[in-house]
Amino acid sequence: MALQPAAGARDLHPRQVDRNRQLCQRLAAVYRLWGYREVAPPMVERLDTLEAGGGIAERDVARLIAEEPLGLRPELTASIARAACTRLADRPRPLRLWAEGSTFRTFTGDGGGQRLSERLQSGVELLGVRSAAADAELMALLLACSETLGLQASHQPRLLVGHHGVLSALLEDLPAAHRPRARQALSGFDPLAIARLPLPQAQIDRLQALLRLRGEPTVVLPQLRRHLGESPLIDELAGSLEIVAPTAARLGISLQLDPSFQPHFDLYDGIVLKLVCLGAEAPVEIASGGRYDALVGRFGAEATEAAGVGFGFSIEDIRDLLLRPGSRDPAGRPVLVAYGNHSSLARALDCLARLHDKGQSAELLPDACPSRDQAEAAAQRRGCSALEWLH
Amino acid sequence: MITVALAKGALLKDSVRCFAAAGLDFSALLDADNRQLMVPSPCGRARALLVRNADVPVYVAYGQAQLGVVGDDVLREHQLPVAPLLDLGFGGCRMAVAVKENSGYSRAAELPAHCRVASKFVRCAEAFFAGLDLPVELIHLTGSVELGPITGMSEAIVDLVATGRTLRENGLVAIDELFHSTARLIGNPLALRFDLGDLQGIVDRVATTTTAAASVSAPSLR
Repeated sequence: MALQPAAGARDLHPRQVDRNRQLCQRLAAVYRLWGYREVAPPMVERLDTLEAGGGIAERDVARLIAEEPLGLRPELTASIARAACTRLADRPRPLRLWAEGSTFRTFTGDGGGQRLSERLQSGVELLGVRSAAADAELMALLLACSETLGLQASHQPRLLVGHHGVLSALLEDLPAAHRPRARQALSGFDPLAIARLPLPQAQIDRLQALLRLRGEPTVVLPQLRRHLGESPLIDELAGSLEIVAPTAARLGISLQLDPSFQPHFDLYDGIVLKLVCLGAEAPVEIASGGRYDALVGRFGAEATEAAGVGFGFSIEDIRDLLLRPGSRDPAGRPVLVAYGNHSSLARALDCLARLHDKGQSAELLPDACPSRDQAEAAAQRRGCSALEWLH
Repeated sequence: MITVALAKGALLKDSVRCFAAAGLDFSALLDADNRQLMVPSPCGRARALLVRNADVPVYVAYGQAQLGVVGDDVLREHQLPVAPLLDLGFGGCRMAVAVKENSGYSRAAELPAHCRVASKFVRCAEAFFAGLDLPVELIHLTGSVELGPITGMSEAIVDLVATGRTLRENGLVAIDELFHSTARLIGNPLALRFDLGDLQGIVDRVATTTTAAASVSAPSLR
């Protein structure tokens, strides 16, 4: 009998579960304050829902053996968008929903076999509004959530902002046949693929320059305007960024406009976001999202309501970022209640109840412990924060 | 601190030379007595990880190294999410199909359907034969693949050929080329987007040592 969990599946120990729950609860409290209602989308969906009309590659979805084509959700947005367009279709818009839960992605390992990766996500979806105000609300909510997580200046949090439509506009000069490869080369950060495109050198140079174009919005926006001229898309993007800039500055989160950045899943057709922090050794992506109006349209929403924008936090990445290896979390550690002989057991249980009444986590050492020294050793062994020993 | 993953073996000397041009001295790795796997540059701005060829893109993909140098053959075979930044031009070799000299085959397309092909590079081989519409049975070996045809285990091999000497000395001949491979400077895509100029500065200085500088020039957005 196998004694290990399936490769890629999470088998968490109590402290990890506690930290995950704390982070989810903090985020949920912010979502609720902003008027978002919780939904619980299914873990298992039909493949055509999960693949979101081609936005998510088939190879990313873990399939189930069943009579109909089913799979495990690789993210939460498609399921929530489907529910919003069906069971929740008669609810007034905007629809503000949040959800948390495990997601599953697959990839091909080096041995050629299918590997599974389970991730805990928590995120929001704002459905039914196609406006710069909704984009600004989403970014403001993302910043409010970041504040509650307790990111430090040493994490150098940075919100990368891109826009699917702006990137499309930047590629409009190219022959239509080469645009998909140019987009892929830009979003994949592949200057060699750009150099190989069968385009005039001037266009290659422009794409290479575009690949390097990123930075503070006040620096990047004028360059985009110089290239695209008057553009409502740029105006909207600039407006949204201007609204959230003071909050981002107050929280120490830098805004970075990055026109060639696109998320892993091809769900998005408007603004795209990624919150990145500096981990112990490497940058860590802790949240990702964007606008996905076409996806909502594919689920049958009327044209006026075919709009959605959302983001998801990667809980485990945040947990690992905030809780460096070796650090302990004293708030989660219980007090150990021990007793010297069997006649003291009733008093020990009373002591336990008193601590519980105060909201203090406390646990009982089940066997009598004849000396305080032995009880202290037991408390240390069990990782308890303090000892109550009743002789 | 910037971390660079460098491959042990044939690419190491030229890799160290490239980073020296960028002001990062990892020459300690070339010292025959060196046993350290992580070596800091004397300037204190960077460190190099000495890893196996196939592990370079792994360290870069996971972000433990922001930059790395590895052959294009490894990138094509392992398909990891890394950004290929520069063709460094050195370490040239070709990925080829080879058979026994006396086999009578002169092109890969002449190989019989469902024949056995041995290779360390099964993904590259699979894609090549799929492109020929030729179904073959691929056998994954981890080294000395020339023994496949010699022992009769396989009809052909797919392997890297630099000078062709190993093939010749084992009675094999190359009959088709999949691609020509040279060393690539690769980067972690998220680290490159997070970069405030340090990484790009190193990439640009390394580019001056290559013949591929045109692909990384920094033209303005007109």
